[in-house]
Amino acid sequence: MTHLALFMLCLAGFAALALGMERTQEDLFGRALTSATVRRLRVAGWVVLLAALACAVRAQGWSLGLVSYSGHTSLAAGVVFGALVLYGRLKPSR
Amino acid sequence: MSAGKAEPAEPGLPKGQGIRQSMSDLHIWAGLLVGWILYAMFLTGTVSYFRDETSQWMRPELPAQHQPPDSAEVAERVAATLATVAAASSQWSIGLPTERSNIASAFWRNPQAQGRRAFQSGTFDPATGQALQVRETKGGDFFFRFHFDLHYMSPLWGRWIAGFCAMFMLVAIISGVITHKKIFIDFFTFRWGKGQRSWLDAHNMLSVFGLPFHFMITYSGLVTLMLMYMPWGSDAAFKTPVERQAMTSQMSAFVPAGKPTGTKAPMVPVADVVRQAQERWGRDNIERVTINNPGDAAARIVVVRGEAGRVSVSPQYLLFDGVTGKLVEAKDKVGPAAETRGVLYALHLGRFADTVTRWLYFLVSLAGTAMVGTGLVMWTVKRRARLPDPDKPYFGFRLVERLNIASIAGLPVAMAAFLWSNRLLPQGLAQRAEWEIHLFFIVWALMLAHAVLRPARRAWVEQLTLGAALLVLLPVLNAITTQRPLWRSIAEGDWVFAGYELGLWALAALLATLAVRTARHRPRARPVRKTAPAAQPSAAAAVGEGA
Repeated sequence: MTHLALFMLCLAGFAALALGMERTQEDLFGRALTSATVRRLRVAGWVVLLAALACAVRAQGWSLGLVSYSGHTSLAAGVVFGALVLYGRLKPSR
Repeated sequence: MSAGKAEPAEPGLPKGQGIRQSMSDLHIWAGLLVGWILYAMFLTGTVSYFRDETSQWMRPELPAQHQPPDSAEVAERVAATLATVAAASSQWSIGLPTERSNIASAFWRNPQAQGRRAFQSGTFDPATGQALQVRETKGGDFFFRFHFDLHYMSPLWGRWIAGFCAMFMLVAIISGVITHKKIFIDFFTFRWGKGQRSWLDAHNMLSVFGLPFHFMITYSGLVTLMLMYMPWGSDAAFKTPVERQAMTSQMSAFVPAGKPTGTKAPMVPVADVVRQAQERWGRDNIERVTINNPGDAAARIVVVRGEAGRVSVSPQYLLFDGVTGKLVEAKDKVGPAAETRGVLYALHLGRFADTVTRWLYFLVSLAGTAMVGTGLVMWTVKRRARLPDPDKPYFGFRLVERLNIASIAGLPVAMAAFLWSNRLLPQGLAQRAEWEIHLFFIVWALMLAHAVLRPARRAWVEQLTLGAALLVLLPVLNAITTQRPLWRSIAEGDWVFAGYELGLWALAALLATLAVRTARHRPRARPVRKTAPAAQPSAAAAVGEGA
């Protein structure tokens, strides 16, 4: 359960950070978002990632927590990345 | 590799550019020089996170283990066997089965021999304590040993080569981060179908997402062998045998056997002392039981704690009097320097990990393998664009290209062949375990020959396809040659076998995807170099073996 929660938090965090990037916004919405929204997305992304770290350390202690946090961030970033690539590939056919 | 600008820096450029350029060159050449060995170390190291599972799959005669047997009873049984086969020995050391490993192993000192032959070893059936009567195999231990000892050479040479490569890897990681200062800006960016640009994006993505892991695994890998690479500090600080033993005891739970008294004395049941340790650490958290001077009045029993749930390999053990069964010493902590080493060592091995964390280790490590692989391929993708005549590349280019094929695509074929030989070699074959390994290298050498003889793109496609086919058919081969076909493993909830074979299929799918993409890849615009030397590099770069 801890692992699932950690992974979902990391996924949400990276998704918010990815949405905070202009290139992603162009791909997804065809326009850049307002700078206020971008700032909120970036803050939210970092806060969620830090919250995930806190959860990991709380649930598993510093040593195990840091290790599994590092793994979950890598995997979550990879999944967000994969989803964006997939979206980019599928979009023209719509 | 470089951020797309590999032209020599012109004089008068700002200093920052100069540094990035030199870092780029360093990154490219450090990476290329050791890339093939690094790739092999990374891939075999990655599968070593499932070392015990590989060993289980390679010993299909042993029934699936749903709960590890009681370590106390196993230790007692194996000790009873050793009392007959190694009665005169001054030291027995028994490695106990765990949640992931279903065999007991042991080594013991041979009183008649010296030096490297001084220890004999064997594998034992936990249920009976007798020597294992199953097919001879090194199991997953082969991949594990190969990833730092290599093979067909003294382990010392292998470790020096591995350490040299790891050092270059560290250089490549650091110079890579400096070179690609845009990697953090380009986070989540992938430009599809843009030849060299796409390879660079993929390489960056694989590197950055796992960067903490890649750095940790390389650095901690060096730490595991640091006293071999740099013995001078400890040599200067610890001179007498007593001092050296004190240092060793900070790093290893190996307690040397003292002098025997020569007086026989009956031993306390080994199970009794192991139970005391189980009360302290938990039933399934005993790694090893070592018995010094068995049967002597000075007998000692050392019970070593397992690594589950603690991120450190620093020794924790209980030392008992072997005759009275009384606790003599409880070692549960080491000095801070030794503990730092213990933690880094444990981080590298990941043996403390639960199943989810082990899969994370595996996946990120696989990404690291792909990082090395994409780096190697990029060297050729980038240079192919600038070849004066793409049909007749110069020798260095051909060399790198062929070695890339034989390592990136050929190694998975050889690894699959290793598993095939485990099922196909006859049971009674002399030196069967060695022949499994010989076949691994024979197939790998064949892949190198194939890569040299075939046109590059055909060689890629054929080897990737062969690898995928071998992996896909392994569960079929297993169903034919053993009593444990995949459907039965799933029905009976044997997740080691089922998971292993499903994992093989996932890897097969990965290789098949690469094969299909390579076969379908059509260079969009082959540059006519002779007439138009200034052809667009972005289009030219697409002429790759791209996947």
